[in-house]
Amino acid sequence: MDKFILRKAEPKDVSDILRLIKELAKFEEMEEQVVLTEKELLEDGFGDHPFYHCVVAEVPKDKQSLEGYTVVGFAMYYFTYDPWIGKLLYLEDFYVMKEFRGYGMGSEILKMLSETAVKTRCSGMHFIVAEWNTTSIEFYKRRGASDLSHEEGWRLYEIDKCNLLKMSSK
Amino acid sequence: MDFTIRAATLEDCKDISRMILELAEHEKVSDQIKITQRDLEQDGFSKNPFFHGIIAEVPEHFKSRDGHTKVGYSLYFYTYSSWKGRAVYMEDLYVMPEFRGKGIGKALMAKVSQLGLAAGCTQLNFTVLDWNKSSLDFYRKQGCWDVTADLGYHCMRCEGDALEHLAQGDL
Repeated sequence: MDKFILRKAEPKDVSDILRLIKELAKFEEMEEQVVLTEKELLEDGFGDHPFYHCVVAEVPKDKQSLEGYTVVGFAMYYFTYDPWIGKLLYLEDFYVMKEFRGYGMGSEILKMLSETAVKTRCSGMHFIVAEWNTTSIEFYKRRGASDLSHEEGWRLYEIDKCNLLKMSSK
Repeated sequence: MDFTIRAATLEDCKDISRMILELAEHEKVSDQIKITQRDLEQDGFSKNPFFHGIIAEVPEHFKSRDGHTKVGYSLYFYTYSSWKGRAVYMEDLYVMPEFRGKGIGKALMAKVSQLGLAAGCTQLNFTVLDWNKSSLDFYRKQGCWDVTADLGYHCMRCEGDALEHLAQGDL
């Protein structure tokens, strides 16, 4: 499998992007948490002020997946800001379908994202990984990633919509 | 105590820069600051800002011991959850020590929540240092939960040489 291309996602890709998001969520045992729709992905990623950017990995038709898909990997990212060091690239999702692993697609996607980060003068790339996901942690540590939760004690917190509404009306 | 919460403007960058340094000193990492007041002006107040700011201001007669009327701030930006869509990330929340306990922090956070909800966000995310007990208690009172503790998600970073090597395809 030497033939695959990486390209910027287009509006026509939202169906494949959602499929891959759900596959990744299933692997994380969080599939029921995905409430995002194709319509939202379209509005939020391809309007005047996109909330995210996406790259997809595509194989030729003769190399399609068992179920007939040619878009077989993706990465979703956006830019964030650290008031100490400036712009950062935040990697939200990163996934290659199981049957297409081991051909360097993941490495190529990560390379493309790092090039984007360097070109846009980001100081770093951030992302989160589940602590039980040792394969991914090893993959990232081999590439020089450090675990901020472990090394510096950062904990990620969330407030959901219900509590946001309570807080905003105080 | 009388205070107002409003959107930050270019002119506020001097005070935001001052308070960023104060917050970094509180977190014991002020030597890590590379961003200048000028960077903040460019990155936050150009055509495509990388962040948004809100300021807490008190009237002249309540100014701080050093003569400041801008006594708190929050920096936030919009992010995206591949599970739930639009989200807002609160990067910094800070109130000068002499103005704490008067509801300013809560008001700043309420404003970020309002703005987030108005933009169609369904969650507010932020990170807290595990030793920062007073902040942890404050946030838990607002209904937040610890994603790192409950789901085991760790914040990872790739920067500097590691980022450059990654970009060049070195392993």
